[in-house]
Amino acid sequence: MIIFISGGAKNGKSSLAQELALTLARGGKRYYVATMIPVDQEDRDRIRRHVADRAGLGFETVECGRNLPACLDRVDRSAAFLLDSTTALLMNELFDPEQDYALDPAAPERCREDLLRFVHGVDNVVVVSDYIYSDAQRYDEITETYRKGLADLDRALAAVSDTVIEVSAGQVIVHKGVMPL
Amino acid sequence: MTLIIGGAYQGKLAFARETFGFGEEDVFTCSGAEIDFAKPCVNALEEFTLACVRQGLDPVEYLRGHRAQWENTVFICQDLFCGVVPIDTELRSWRHTTGLVCQYLSREADRVSRIFCGLEQRLK
Repeated sequence: MIIFISGGAKNGKSSLAQELALTLARGGKRYYVATMIPVDQEDRDRIRRHVADRAGLGFETVECGRNLPACLDRVDRSAAFLLDSTTALLMNELFDPEQDYALDPAAPERCREDLLRFVHGVDNVVVVSDYIYSDAQRYDEITETYRKGLADLDRALAAVSDTVIEVSAGQVIVHKGVMPL
Repeated sequence: MTLIIGGAYQGKLAFARETFGFGEEDVFTCSGAEIDFAKPCVNALEEFTLACVRQGLDPVEYLRGHRAQWENTVFICQDLFCGVVPIDTELRSWRHTTGLVCQYLSREADRVSRIFCGLEQRLK
């Protein structure tokens, strides 16, 4: 089963995603796909908070900030996966530190194909994204490339997902399918 | 009349095309303070409201004045009024005015749909 979750920041997406991944695991193996590549103290603090949140839930962490399908070779594909988030993945693919963080225009499409290959390559997965599309701003080209790229992969994932959920202020709006029991 | 709202890049136009069978020639894409109501689909309504703001015009008045011409139109507008209030006066007015336009059209509409990641959420 593929579940896609999006919504605004700090609305409870990650907590819901953890719960749903546990539900899909049905007591069996579960992986947390860690997508963030920390670059500063703020990132490290954030990761520490997320690790503390997951403590005791039995997730095994798989580090995969780039080239997502490669991690399929080192996991049990019949497990339940929690991938949080597409936002970080796209950021990592779009701005490669080894290329001096220059924008890679091929990254959005590659990232979308990687994600599709990943979600189709495992039995159960919950994917978290961020909804960043409804504000009155004129962004620069780099930000706009990022927004469009993320929207494209959101839509591609929503199209193949069994369940699509928007979280708003901790409340759940089901746009497609049903919540797993 | 139908109003389709949603965030940037959510697939609003693709949804309109699929649902109503519009071709390229059926879509008017707003870029100024005038709308060609001969086209059954009016896209990027937020560009119309931005042009109105820049020229000191009231887009709701404009739409009211042309009421008879959009009885069966499909309007598409970005819901850019959901984000942070911008510091810039023009963007702030744009956000505010676009909200008012959508409220007005939403009241007049037979159908209001919000598009989220390519999926329709029927609001009316």
